[in-house]
Amino acid sequence: MKSLRSLLKSWKIRLALVLAVIGPGFITANVDNDAGGIFTYSQSGAQFGYTLLWTMIPITIALIVVQEMSARLGAVTGKGLSDLIREEFGFRLTFIVMVTLVITNFGNVVTEFAGIASSLELFGWSKYLVVPVCAFVVWAMVVRGTYATIEKIFLTASAFYICYIIAGVLAHPNWKAAAFATVTRPEAAGMRNYGYLYMVIALVGTTIAPWMQFYLQASVVEKGITAKQYRASRWDVILGCVFTDVVAWFIIVACAATLYANGHHNIANASDAAQALRPFAGEYAYLLFAAGLFNASLFAASILPISTAYAVCEGLGFESGLDKKFHEAPVFYWLYTILIVLGAAVVLIPRLPLVYVSVLSQVVNGIVLPFVLVFMLLLTNDRELMGDHVNGRGFNAVAWTTVIVVVGMALLMIFFH
Amino acid sequence: MSLVALSELLGATVRDASGAVRGRVREVAIAPQEHPTRIAFLIVGAPDGERVLPASWLKTCGATVRADGDASQWEKYAASDGVLLLKRDLLDQQIIDVHGRKVVRVNDVELDSSLVNSHVNIDVIAVDVGSRGAIRRLMQGVVPAFTMRALLEKIPPRVIPWQYVDLLETDPARRVKLKIVYEGLSKLHPADIANIIEDLPPAEREAVFETIDEEVAAEALEELDPKVQVSLVESLDSDRAADIVNEMDPDAAADLLEKLPEARSGQILKEMEPEERIEVAQLLEFGKHTAAGRMTTEFVSVRDNGSVADAIEALKQFEGSREAVATIYLYSVSYKLTGAVPLVKIAISPPATPLGELREDAATCLPDTPDDEVTGLFDKYNLVTLAVVDEHERLAGIITADDVITMLRHAN
Repeated sequence: MKSLRSLLKSWKIRLALVLAVIGPGFITANVDNDAGGIFTYSQSGAQFGYTLLWTMIPITIALIVVQEMSARLGAVTGKGLSDLIREEFGFRLTFIVMVTLVITNFGNVVTEFAGIASSLELFGWSKYLVVPVCAFVVWAMVVRGTYATIEKIFLTASAFYICYIIAGVLAHPNWKAAAFATVTRPEAAGMRNYGYLYMVIALVGTTIAPWMQFYLQASVVEKGITAKQYRASRWDVILGCVFTDVVAWFIIVACAATLYANGHHNIANASDAAQALRPFAGEYAYLLFAAGLFNASLFAASILPISTAYAVCEGLGFESGLDKKFHEAPVFYWLYTILIVLGAAVVLIPRLPLVYVSVLSQVVNGIVLPFVLVFMLLLTNDRELMGDHVNGRGFNAVAWTTVIVVVGMALLMIFFH
Repeated sequence: MSLVALSELLGATVRDASGAVRGRVREVAIAPQEHPTRIAFLIVGAPDGERVLPASWLKTCGATVRADGDASQWEKYAASDGVLLLKRDLLDQQIIDVHGRKVVRVNDVELDSSLVNSHVNIDVIAVDVGSRGAIRRLMQGVVPAFTMRALLEKIPPRVIPWQYVDLLETDPARRVKLKIVYEGLSKLHPADIANIIEDLPPAEREAVFETIDEEVAAEALEELDPKVQVSLVESLDSDRAADIVNEMDPDAAADLLEKLPEARSGQILKEMEPEERIEVAQLLEFGKHTAAGRMTTEFVSVRDNGSVADAIEALKQFEGSREAVATIYLYSVSYKLTGAVPLVKIAISPPATPLGELREDAATCLPDTPDDEVTGLFDKYNLVTLAVVDEHERLAGIITADDVITMLRHAN
């Protein structure tokens, strides 16, 4: 009896331990499948069919390595990424990184509101009404501190992504071709094609977005995960990354098997993208897609502006925190507010091509990524900072390769433009 | 007397007595063992490596640094733990602003150079945490010096005088060498100390808690957010943790130990003073959400046949928390609780007054009274303290109003 109880207790403790650390990595991964992600993966499948599936394995490996570095930096130092950049590289570089981050993340915020606008347009609701309302809801929800409760709802609703997996299966894709395309080498001809490079960089940028590194590291610190508990956290990160990319793979396959196969090569709006869910949901595809896109967009819209405001204020030394009053942390609140207000305002521009803008913002993510990565690499290799937790050789190889390949592709893209 | 910013001094060209350029300023160092604010030496990046230029050799200090003697006399720089390097240890790092009671990041450091006997003394006078330092750092070398000067004059300074700066250093040995003792921080209200601690990264929290006085640490610990409290105590070695828990209010100590893993709380209990250990261990036995779990066993009580003078004597001997002295409890020859006297009455009565004349009925509850009934009693009778009595009507402990506020806030 006693042994049973102790067994139960140790089992409970272990479960509690896993539940306690599961979170930051998985949540970040879920937010990663935001409006920008859904549009980019869909467009990639519609435009190129299975052709770009080869990117998924390298991107997943790079994503795991990069996210693991963020989580490790947070757990070992107990500091945010912008804090570390400031302390190790001084004010001027930090300022440049922060300005870049604000611009890049602004593009992402616009994308989230584009996701909100286009998902609700499927219900026939005007964006001029819903976007301002949602912007206000997001703003108030975060400032009022109700976000923590709502996060669980968002997370649960993220189960919507499973629809893509089912839709992908029901669309009867050519499994053999899809599998082959996933493990095959990219064609050299693609590297001379502007549209091809543009889409590959968008795929990299949307999956390994720069904001994720700041957000994940901050969440790890916020959760108080230390170097000792880090082992369990690593699994949370890996699981999250794999989940993100399995979903991404199925979105591409679903769009390739439906849109691309039917000669529908360009996604102009959300209703085009929703077609991919038709094999699974039939007439209800619109409904399902709209609900899923709306959830993903609102989820990311409540995280991006606030995490940007935190990162910038911590790096540049402004007061920050929702426990402060508006006049105590004016830069923090203004930055947060302006990101939301302007982000929503851009989406209200009449006839703005929402999907095009969304994919463009992901290309910007991709171009900025290598610069953030270089800072992270220098930090994770600093023995004075990381002690025994410095990067291993394999990690450095993968991360540096990512930097070089992305920079190289960006240069080629500009060259062939 | 003239002000120079650290960011201006860093990178300045250095000329020796011959007038030739010998290198650039790489670092500015203070040796706190010798002088708390005075610059001890500059580290000069010369073509053949880093050289030490003692401050006593300096003739002028600014965009160009001129020094006595020949550059060949400057010794090679060897890293030392005992000096504070302003660029590495201060610039862009977080510090505690004791005056403003918060954690801030250093944008620049203000130095003051004054001419004494034909050489200059340079002292740190303040750290710049405002936009003036930030803009100087950003624009330096990009815009011409005179434009920058004109620009910076328009920005009001936001500086923290050096005496209000507490440095953060996580290496204990180096803290000793640099004489970092958190004197300023220790003088703040425990709630302010707790706020500052919560804003620090874990290693820095630990550093502060290892350094400050146990009594101050104990009071600050009581005010900390429970999550931070637990992780902080877990990171300290059990020796130090026991020293701090010893100084805490027994009820707060019991609350804390309850949240720790059993092995850890056992370790800490074992290393505590016997007297405190017994009290805390008893509190741990009671249910958490009952009067006994909430009460403190440190209260003021005197024989009911005593006088005001006896009560004052008891107050003088009392070492518990300030909240607990609001009521003086009276007991009979058989140690039964017989009444209470509010502190106000003691304060305004002549010393010879018998306590029996001032006596009031004491509000009481039993050890197993649940939280909501306790708060109900405080509300109904407008209490400041509530007596918890055992089955023999003896006073086991008291609950104070601040405990009730905590209970109510946590209940929500």
